[in-house]
Amino acid sequence: MSAADLDLMKAQKLELGELAKKAGALVFGVADANAFASAMEGQRPTELLPGCKTVFVLGGAQPRAGDWHSPSYRHMETTSTSDRVTAMGNRIAQHIERRFGYYAVTIPPGVDRARRPFLNIALAAELAGCGSPSLAGPLLHPEFGFMYYTAVLTTLPLPVDGPLTTPACPAPECVAMWDEMGTTPCMATCPIDDGGCLGGSLEDGHVKERRYDVARCTTRVQTSFIPGFQKALEAVFEEPEKEKRKMILYSSQFTRTLWSMSYSNVSQGQCFECMRVCPVGSKHRNLL
Amino acid sequence: MSNLDKPVNAAQVPDEQGLIAMSRANDIRKLAISSGVDVVGIAPVERWDEFVPPGSRPYDILPGAKSVVVVGVRGPSAGAWQSPDHRLIEMNGYDFANDRVIHQVADHIEQEYGYHAIQAPGLPVGGHQPAFSMMLAAVLAGLGTRSFAANIILNPKYGLLYYSACLTTLELPVDPMLEQDVCPAPMCVQVYKAGGRTPCQAACPSDEGGCLHGTIGPDNRIESTYYDRERCVSRAMNFGINSFQKALEQIANEDDDDRRTMMIHSDFFTRSTSGIAFYKESVAQCFECMRVCPIGRAERKLK
Amino acid sequence: MGFYFVDPELYRKYKDQVLSMSQAIQINYPEHLPPEKRQPGFSDRQIAENLGIEERVVREIRCVAERDYYPVDEWERALEFKDRACKGYAENGVAYATKKYIDRAKAAKASGTD
Repeated sequence: MSAADLDLMKAQKLELGELAKKAGALVFGVADANAFASAMEGQRPTELLPGCKTVFVLGGAQPRAGDWHSPSYRHMETTSTSDRVTAMGNRIAQHIERRFGYYAVTIPPGVDRARRPFLNIALAAELAGCGSPSLAGPLLHPEFGFMYYTAVLTTLPLPVDGPLTTPACPAPECVAMWDEMGTTPCMATCPIDDGGCLGGSLEDGHVKERRYDVARCTTRVQTSFIPGFQKALEAVFEEPEKEKRKMILYSSQFTRTLWSMSYSNVSQGQCFECMRVCPVGSKHRNLL
Repeated sequence: MSNLDKPVNAAQVPDEQGLIAMSRANDIRKLAISSGVDVVGIAPVERWDEFVPPGSRPYDILPGAKSVVVVGVRGPSAGAWQSPDHRLIEMNGYDFANDRVIHQVADHIEQEYGYHAIQAPGLPVGGHQPAFSMMLAAVLAGLGTRSFAANIILNPKYGLLYYSACLTTLELPVDPMLEQDVCPAPMCVQVYKAGGRTPCQAACPSDEGGCLHGTIGPDNRIESTYYDRERCVSRAMNFGINSFQKALEQIANEDDDDRRTMMIHSDFFTRSTSGIAFYKESVAQCFECMRVCPIGRAERKLK
Repeated sequence: MGFYFVDPELYRKYKDQVLSMSQAIQINYPEHLPPEKRQPGFSDRQIAENLGIEERVVREIRCVAERDYYPVDEWERALEFKDRACKGYAENGVAYATKKYIDRAKAAKASGTD
């Protein structure tokens, strides 16, 4: 590769970064398309876009500082959306194709067969240096904490960023809490051994072990969504009494589920309690 | 030649009203293109009289309507077309830019010029029947011609586009309908003569479980077409309202509790429900006839 | 009373006629074809006038019949079709679809049976 090629790549990356920021992204980064060795078969960039060279990742569209301050958990259920960040991704993809003439495709936010994502976007964000894995689960950016990510696969070669060298989790406050009490804020809020989803241990300031109950987390993150709908439907069909069936079908839970499904673009995540207590990025939530 | 550069016929030099109308038409085009659509066309409402029964014409929907502004936008990115996983293009095919822009056009007409303007209704209002055909609007506004492939309207440059229309009482200078058929392309005529099928008919043949059939006449134009819309629905709306209803019927008819549980939590029913919830990500779910279509392919050839 | 749905007997009686007059199967739609050749399909109102029943009933019959047209198996077959077609194109381009017809035509010509 010549120096001129490298300069061009840097300039293109800068242009995309400026577009990303203008579109509302908080962070962006580039991952090497061939760095997804740990991804499941069928979920690697080159399998989805033949000739894929890089993965452009954007992060942003966090719940607002005010959202975190609301004492109503129901309010938070309508703030979560990957809609906004996916729209940013689409703009980047369009720009790459129409301005630079390379193939680009935004990874859809939904799931494919058997509830599998098309690509592990969290992994893409990690490989692009946009965050690091946390004990609670979501990827955390060292400055901004929890946010939503989108990934754009492209045949455009760009300088890659690579993973962060220092993980955001555990934060110093969490290490201190672990040393003192044997737990961290997220594990204390949602303890797996006490009806919650999270467990694990720290050692020498790093996450040594992580336990995560996906099925229980699903009942919380998607309480009033497709899984809840399916459960309610099962109950309806099993109920022999007409009046009780009516109670289920007209219930606030079932009604809420239908609303969330209709307005899926604003209600994809319905539990934030592990993130509420997470100190990473929390300084940005302290406004007037 | 862009949409904005329309030649003025010397024999039809407009008067002052005509100049105002031309200026407004140009402003509308500029607004639409700069807002993100690829093509804009304008048709007079009278063109619908030949093709649409009374009750469904533009002026039946908006009394006093004089013009129909139609916009078209590309769907999946070129990269999405490249993927060997058909599900990727299905979840990426539609970003509703055409709808968003037509609202801007309607707002502009009402707020700047003071004429009524509405977004033409696009959703089905009874079964699979929309209240207004965007496909016909695109043809009548000179943006494309009908094809063998599911009657999709092909634009000569971009091929498959998604269309929205604005009905308005504002009278605007109109665009001619295309004189040259976009479909069949010369390459498709050759393939048809060699094998009896065009590429799209070969990809989805109605006599082999697919949706399409048709013939090309000696003048190399479409002579006849056949399109099984109901089979196409099972493909283009694989997971959504339709599959949800079909699956629910089977679930409700199942007497065995355990089997019913299996059905309710099955991948098929989960994806059907997801298709309804995430409708915005997955409006169109089959592109196989368009995948093999040569029209617009040059626009999708990147590095 | 409940919400309106069509009587199954009425549905069975008119289903095929409603479908044949609707846009379920679309024949000769291109606008350049002469009017006498085009078969654009009729609106619910036109079908109702033709059959001597109410428009609302036609609409209801049509909605159910459209859904009833193919069994749910067709939706599963759709997945297989798209998987095959998309992968076929990725591997062999347009030829994945057209080659067999061209070969068939050549073979027929060679054997004098075309």
